[in-house]
Amino acid sequence: MVSLAIPSDIAFVILTVVTITAAIMALHAKELIYGAVSLAVSFIGIAGFFALLDAPYLAMLQIAIYVGAIVVLILFTIMLVRRDQAPEIDEQTNSESPVGLWLAGLLALAISGVVALAGASLPTGEPPANLQVSDLGPVLTSQYPVPLIILALLLSASLLGALVLAKVER
Amino acid sequence: MVSLTSYLIVSAALLGIGVYGLSVKRNAIRILFAVEIIVNAANLNFAAFTRYMNPPQVSGQVIVFYSIAAAAMEAAVGLALILVAFRLNSTIDVRKLNKLKG
Repeated sequence: MVSLAIPSDIAFVILTVVTITAAIMALHAKELIYGAVSLAVSFIGIAGFFALLDAPYLAMLQIAIYVGAIVVLILFTIMLVRRDQAPEIDEQTNSESPVGLWLAGLLALAISGVVALAGASLPTGEPPANLQVSDLGPVLTSQYPVPLIILALLLSASLLGALVLAKVER
Repeated sequence: MVSLTSYLIVSAALLGIGVYGLSVKRNAIRILFAVEIIVNAANLNFAAFTRYMNPPQVSGQVIVFYSIAAAAMEAAVGLALILVAFRLNSTIDVRKLNKLKG
């Protein structure tokens, strides 16, 4: 088990660096397109975290939905929106007040502090992984069937709503 | 062995980045980026907590499943709203979208 522990540590550090750097880049890249691409990199990092947490189904779902659907949707919207307006807004992001930075930093520090204080009472040892992807299906359909149906209805309703909203009246 | 605390701290850092983007950025699409980052931080927390339960439970993964689907809806509707706002005002700077201001 010791030989397995070291690679997972290294993978965790690499994933942390990639995810957080890409998330910062997504908000700070000069061009919106580059921001969307680094948002995709950040989502792939989160998928790596899911794989590290023995949730391969979530990793697959993360890549399929976030990277495959949401980022592509964002890229299409950027292409539809940007004409000559985009550079103007990008310049305006330079005149940011530091209050937001302080607020966010304080929030992250406070949560990290609480987590570090509560660390003693949190479970430390990683219990053995005995879950399979096939365990997810029965729970989803037998234990939570109503939320699944509501989710399906909500998904089709919201996509129809998005279509109606984005439709051009002629 | 990676501890649960490390995952929680990574998640808190992602939440901080998202809140920063939410409070500072003026471009509506960047604000959507920040929302997605915050949702991802929450998902990471659910997956980590459910993995470190003893014995490991699958219900946290179910919650992440729902959350990812909800994020997909939110992105679709949000982007449609941004398109409409751009069509009506020819800008997506959220500080200029203040027609409702009294």
